[in-house]
Amino acid sequence: MNRRSFLQRGLFGGAVLLLGGGGLSLYPTRRVASPTRPLRVLDDRGFQVIAAVAARVISSPDADPGVLAERIDESLSRLPAESQHDLAGLVGLFENALPGLLLDGRVTPFTRLDAAAQDRALESWRDSRLVVRRSGYHALRRLCFVAYYGDESAWPGIHYKGPPDVKGFSHDDSKAGTPGWIAAQDQAGAP
Amino acid sequence: MTKLSVVRASAGVIDGSAASADLDLSAEVCVIGSGAGGAVVASVLAAAGVSVILVEEGGYFSTADFDMHEAHTVPKLYQESMQRATADLAISVLQGRAVGGTTVVNWTTSFRTPEDVVAHWATKHAVGGFHHADLVPHYEAIEARLSVHQVDESAMNRNNKKLYEGCKSKGFAVAPTRRNVYQCMQTGYCGTGCPINAKRSMLVTLVPDAIDAGARLLFRCRVDRLESSAGEITSAQCTLLDASGYGVTGKRATIKARRFILSGGAINSPAVLLRSGLNDNGLVGTRTFLHPTIGVTGLYDEPIEAFYGAPQTAASHAFAHRGDDVGFFMEAAPGYPVLSATAMPGFGASHRRLMETSSRRTVHIALAIDGFHDDVPGGTVKVRPSGAPLLEYPIPPRLWEAFRTAQRRLAEINFASGAKEVTTLHDPPVTATSDKDLDRLDAAPWEPCRVGVFTAHQMGGCRMGDDPKSAIVRSEDLRHHVLKNLHVIDGSVFPTSLGVNPQESIYGLARLMATRLAGR
Repeated sequence: MNRRSFLQRGLFGGAVLLLGGGGLSLYPTRRVASPTRPLRVLDDRGFQVIAAVAARVISSPDADPGVLAERIDESLSRLPAESQHDLAGLVGLFENALPGLLLDGRVTPFTRLDAAAQDRALESWRDSRLVVRRSGYHALRRLCFVAYYGDESAWPGIHYKGPPDVKGFSHDDSKAGTPGWIAAQDQAGAP
Repeated sequence: MTKLSVVRASAGVIDGSAASADLDLSAEVCVIGSGAGGAVVASVLAAAGVSVILVEEGGYFSTADFDMHEAHTVPKLYQESMQRATADLAISVLQGRAVGGTTVVNWTTSFRTPEDVVAHWATKHAVGGFHHADLVPHYEAIEARLSVHQVDESAMNRNNKKLYEGCKSKGFAVAPTRRNVYQCMQTGYCGTGCPINAKRSMLVTLVPDAIDAGARLLFRCRVDRLESSAGEITSAQCTLLDASGYGVTGKRATIKARRFILSGGAINSPAVLLRSGLNDNGLVGTRTFLHPTIGVTGLYDEPIEAFYGAPQTAASHAFAHRGDDVGFFMEAAPGYPVLSATAMPGFGASHRRLMETSSRRTVHIALAIDGFHDDVPGGTVKVRPSGAPLLEYPIPPRLWEAFRTAQRRLAEINFASGAKEVTTLHDPPVTATSDKDLDRLDAAPWEPCRVGVFTAHQMGGCRMGDDPKSAIVRSEDLRHHVLKNLHVIDGSVFPTSLGVNPQESIYGLARLMATRLAGR
């Protein structure tokens, strides 16, 4: 595939991320966390990469990369098949040393980099001239935030007190809002 | 007076995920999609004594599901669990997927279609089948049924108040919105399903009306293809989904009807036609409009708490008409944690700093009005090998210019309201600390995936018009130009965007068209 079509087709547009294939790494993926249940979408290598990315994207001592990666695996199961496939390709591309070498001069897999170098790798994707790399950065970032901020354990850190208590307030009446219903409510002395 | 729980348990409500065998159903009319278009059509036709089956891909939820928790509600209520996006991921797509469609998760803002937009359609897009005056009685009927009314200024949350007051002090026209709510207690969680049924969405109004009047509802049923023969649709071929909505049960449904109404909304309606090979003139899916939306966040000394209170109670159309430049309108957005986190730029420590101050931040948005300029022709819906829709939307230069101008106006509004700093949704973020700093914002990069762009208003893709060479459906009754028993009645028929939040435009047009059909 030439670069032009690669760019035009986009990440989730069905682009096959050829560079992301396995077997090209000089070093194996580092184990970051262990899944506690069977994975739904990611393979083990993908799980490790996602956990390593989540650790940097969230960058908080209360965030467990393995837990976040499990939540991300779950959320990926709600995407169309092509998007799941592209995401798997993206994760491989992100980790892999050969594209790292071609695109950034990096030969070490992402999971084996130290934290500062991992941040630089994320930034190089974010700031890339190639739309497909910038989209890849946003896809990974988004998955991490959904996984982290969707859980109430993250809420005190952002001064969010959670939803209000609405018990007893539900209008369980399908005709509410009609003139007849409003008149009946008025007669019944409703507020 | 019929309780919702009684409607839900009625014999006419069929849960596709629970079917133990393939389903073979028939009716006079099959309505595909139960959102702002389909629910209106089903309720009008059923009330006229027509036998109707209403088919919905999403689940049938209630306040028991609407716990105001994004992790629980978003996967149930949004297309692709709110991960739907354009092919290049440059534009995030917020679109509902449930009985009641996007009306279950919208922010309740209710505008009639601007008169000049309907006139523009007549002049530029050969929409001769109705005039603004024909729509008015239908708006009125819908407004009464959905309790649409203008909000009181005193009911604005601080996020909206900052927008409202900032506009006033800058001299930008601004007004309180009208909302379809009754006895709203202003939880603020319209976007995750109203927890108290105060929002008069289709879920609690016209869908129950339709069922009351004898319509059947089949949910967890995805229409894969429309089969046709001799210029007519003969059946809808469907897949039954499991209770999660993301897997299939292996069972299928076949629905036969004399007439089919496609009301899947922009993106999904064109996708059904494309999957069915029904694209004679090659225009299905083209001219898809989004009101592409950018945002800024202003930081204040005092609490803003944009997650609480009615999300959208002020709107400014001061810059909706900019002549040769693309217009935009400005509103507020709710600051739920996940929605905020995914919108805020950056990662790691810099993102965390934005989130730690999120309770003191406004979230203000500008929605670009696409489709009125020749070089802003919208996007294109295609289908992927799996049949899932694929949306491509290249952002043209003129739209980037609108974003740049809109971002500056939003920043000015926030500074006028007392913001200490204003941050854009560029990544890396760009921050201004005073009015004098605004050139920094102008210099920010405007390219795909360097700035957050969103859409909550999908329109077009099956446009109406009276010339078969340039439209999919004719405008007098939204009937397909070629297929004589197929109508498309939803937001996909709009030949341009609207310049206002779309729900009431869809209700009004759908009610007019359904009334015409019922009279035959």
